[in-house]
Amino acid sequence: MNLKFNKMNAKIKSILLILTIGLLLGFTSKTDDTGNLTISFNHFFKGQKIDFTSEFVNSHDEKIKFSTLNYFISNIKLTKKDGTSYSIPQDSSYFLVKESEIQSKQLHLKNIPKGEYSGITFTVGVDSVRNTMDIARRTGALDVGGTAKGMYWIWNSGYIFFKMEGTSPSAPDQQKNKFAYHVGGFGGYNTKTINSIRTKEFETNGLMVSRDKNPVVAINVDLAGMFDAHTPIKIAERSTVMWGDISTKIADNYISCFKFFNLSYK
Amino acid sequence: MYLIFFLMIAFVVASAFVIDDDQPVKIVVPSNFPAPVYNLEKNKITQKGVELGRQLFYDGLLSIDGSTSCGSCHQQVSAFVQQDHDFSHGVENRIGRRNALPLANLIFSKSFFWDGGVFNLDLTPVNAIENEVEMGENLDHVLKKLNASLLYKARFKATYGVDSITTNLFLKSISQFLATMVSANSRYDKYVRKEGEVLNADELEGLNIFKDKCSTCHSSDLFTDGSFRNNGSTADFRFDKGRHEITLADADIGKFKVPSLRNVEFTGPYMHDGSLQSLEEVLEHYNSGMKASASLDPVFKKRDKPGISLDGNEKRKLVAFLKTLTDQEFLTNKKLSEF
Ligand code: HEC
Ligand code: HEC
Repeated sequence: MNLKFNKMNAKIKSILLILTIGLLLGFTSKTDDTGNLTISFNHFFKGQKIDFTSEFVNSHDEKIKFSTLNYFISNIKLTKKDGTSYSIPQDSSYFLVKESEIQSKQLHLKNIPKGEYSGITFTVGVDSVRNTMDIARRTGALDVGGTAKGMYWIWNSGYIFFKMEGTSPSAPDQQKNKFAYHVGGFGGYNTKTINSIRTKEFETNGLMVSRDKNPVVAINVDLAGMFDAHTPIKIAERSTVMWGDISTKIADNYISCFKFFNLSYK
Repeated sequence: MYLIFFLMIAFVVASAFVIDDDQPVKIVVPSNFPAPVYNLEKNKITQKGVELGRQLFYDGLLSIDGSTSCGSCHQQVSAFVQQDHDFSHGVENRIGRRNALPLANLIFSKSFFWDGGVFNLDLTPVNAIENEVEMGENLDHVLKKLNASLLYKARFKATYGVDSITTNLFLKSISQFLATMVSANSRYDKYVRKEGEVLNADELEGLNIFKDKCSTCHSSDLFTDGSFRNNGSTADFRFDKGRHEITLADADIGKFKVPSLRNVEFTGPYMHDGSLQSLEEVLEHYNSGMKASASLDPVFKKRDKPGISLDGNEKRKLVAFLKTLTDQEFLTNKKLSEF
């Protein structure tokens, strides 16, 4: 009895604490000191908007139709001219962008301290900490039984950072002309493995965050570069990539496809 | 006034927790075992949680067509491998490419599967569920089925006080059951822990030969050092490159996880490909049947023909010793069985 009472006491205390913190946070976020920011991703292939019905041609003269285009964006950080920076809190800094879901291409970031930011940094992929964290904390975009469906390697624990699939006459007939590029690898847990985590930084001069401004940073991703930016990737030679040394080269290719387009306010 | 209201809410929330507080289950670490690797702090084991995990483990609902449960391939009578199968059989009789691994003492393991591709016990069930040749399902669909089941909704509510079944709680429940699969009461254990068990002369000599010739890899009372090695069971790695498939390192082609030898009397056929049928065949393999390849372990290269010399007597004594690792309590424990 006594034991149970003590236990309850401890629980009340901790709950009180949590509620108080929550309340405090609730108050502060209502003040004028923060604002919102949207990052918007638009997908192109040689300047033409990507959709799942049109045919595209890469620089190796290979015809392509896409059926899947997904990637993770994480660890978003905003930097200021004076060298200081603001990192979006870990628990709200993971996003799965999918060509098939319009809303997923707009990342809404909330409660950002007001001010002028001169740069944005983010990772395409999922850092090793989240790749190895207790499943209780892998919620939202990282829920392997929810949003992250199909974006997790079950046999080789880790998230698939970037997934591009489709058909091309250059892919083998016996594969029904399908190609698939699944890129991941966070560097390994007990043993070193491939690392495909790539980070991108943009200048965003004049980006103002405040309560009454809603800035939108548009980023254009022209995926033609996935096939040729640094290392030529020919569907005829390599139609399926799941886990291999080439994965890191593909990551180098696609990271260079992310380009700052413009800054607007809505 | 505000504060009183606040305290009232806190009290209601807190008492809900206390009522749901289920009997905690203490996982006793056997005195001859190392400390667990699995973080039991992050998954508080309770009676109800284990019971729920057991029900999930034996439920075909986890597979695409309802036909296959974890227990179909991991059967208690054979120390949780699939009896008499070299490659495991899953849904629609599809055949996997590897021999099932016995399930025991998993919370002491650093990595899982023959290639060590998974390093967190909580994520091992997803591997089976989503593997096309095992259960052929999708985790999100399994969660939908569970959330549509009145029975499971009630059980999760009673266990965790929740209204919806999440990835986390589903996987943690299975882990709770897996965590209770501790095999540490074989005759050998009772002998080393000085609990009044005696081994006969053959068994004792077998133990000494084992310490001399086998324990570099099958080390500690877990009977594995958790490393990846090539013991020459095959030299054909076209369809299964083992550890290399994870690390992509050439030196790892053909290396597989050193398996524990607990209950080894019942876990045959043996090796990742199920290529050896009996313990006698295994020992003859170490003596004369080894297939050499680049990554073959240096331990076996100490004589001209690769292997470890074992004469007839030594083999007989080794088998006698290996059988002392049989844990009858574990194999018949009602708490681990389907019914
Ligand atoms: C179709 C047969 C089959 C089914 C069904 C199955 N398994 Fe397995 N299990 C295997 C095979 C085969 C292996 C070894 C595979 C490998 O190493 O690649 C294995 C390995 C494991 C391991 C790793 C053991 C170790 O020591 O590394 C765990 C844990 C496991 N299974 C748990 C489960 C759970 C939990 C379920 C139910 C959700 C399940 N299995 C369903 C066949 C099966
Ligand atoms: C150099 C390390 C090494 C040594 C020494 C070694 N083993 Fe092994 N053993 C392994 C590996 C690795 C496997 C799994 C190989 C595979 O699946 O291809 C294995 C598998 C086994 C298996 C099959 C277990 C199962 O469940 O499939 C048995 C039995 C076994 N060893 C017994 C022995 C005995 C007895 C000795 C001493 C004579 C011995 N081993 C020495 C590394 C070793």
